[in-house]
Amino acid sequence: MRLFLLALLATLAPLQAAEPVKHLLPAQYQDRVVALRKGRVLVVNFWATWCEPCREEMPALERASRAFSSKDLAVVLVSLDSARLGPTAVPKFLESKRIPFVCWLAKSRDPQTFIDAVDKNWDGTLPYTMIYDRTGKPALKLTGRQTVESFSEAIRKVMGKA
Amino acid sequence: MRKALLALPLLASLALSGGEPAKVGAAAPAFSLPSAAGGAPVALKDLVAKNKATVVIFIATKCPYSNGYNERMAKLGRDLPAQGIALVGINSNKSESASDVAEHARKHQFTFPVLKDEGNKVADLYNAQHTPEVFVIDSNGTLVYHGRIDETYDEPKNVKSPDLQNALTALLSGKPVPAAETKAFGCSIKRV
Repeated sequence: MRLFLLALLATLAPLQAAEPVKHLLPAQYQDRVVALRKGRVLVVNFWATWCEPCREEMPALERASRAFSSKDLAVVLVSLDSARLGPTAVPKFLESKRIPFVCWLAKSRDPQTFIDAVDKNWDGTLPYTMIYDRTGKPALKLTGRQTVESFSEAIRKVMGKA
Repeated sequence: MRKALLALPLLASLALSGGEPAKVGAAAPAFSLPSAAGGAPVALKDLVAKNKATVVIFIATKCPYSNGYNERMAKLGRDLPAQGIALVGINSNKSESASDVAEHARKHQFTFPVLKDEGNKVADLYNAQHTPEVFVIDSNGTLVYHGRIDETYDEPKNVKSPDLQNALTALLSGKPVPAAETKAFGCSIKRV
């Protein structure tokens, strides 16, 4: 009976709980998010819990990423939720959707400061996805809600497998 | 002749859009839109003719980021007319009906007109992408500010960069707008 209950609890637990969000200053973006993952293609998805198309596309990014080995592809999320609401709203959403990616919370009162640190040509539209090649150079930018197919195609293109 | 024929579709599209897209320092594109609450259409040229400045804000009813500014926008609606400044809201979201927009404006005590931009034609003309996104037009009809209201949607008592207010203060005192373009941030305008 005890074993049965333990087995039941195990099936009810999330498959992969989201990691706690970490704060990221604008000046830390290049070193902590991009440089550390050189050698792999890197997808950085900028989103917020208040952004409906961001919430809608997140499962598509998760599904698209499954087709690639973690040796070839890294996926990182950066939330632009506010410092007041983000620490609770972000992990709550990621857990509810069972999103397994590392997620940073942009630590900047002024979103413009963070946006400019990432890409001066980005107008702030969310969702926004940057795909870096294996050397850490920006290779593709995706603006607006994506699908499994558009994420997959973009990743394959940067990997040189399109 | 061939070149002239090739140019025709381009000229046609410019005529439909009312000319060049909005650009700070250039003439603000003309528009006339119905108020979501009903009544006569509101034309930009009439607002420009009667006011020292006109503030146009693209807003939404369901966007948490835009809704974070409701109280600040309601206050602007109460305060700006006394300074000779007109304020209008524009809702270009396909997903929000005129009745939704009128109800939202009533609920949040907006005393300024909120216009319904069916087919997001004015949003396209201004290349507006977000809610909220602000455009300020001076009494000559020139676009003098484009961007955000300020830098924080959820801490209205702790604003450090009141960009719209700074632009209006400069405009009223005859000085150049200090930061004529800031990055608007918020939900995307729902065009489909």
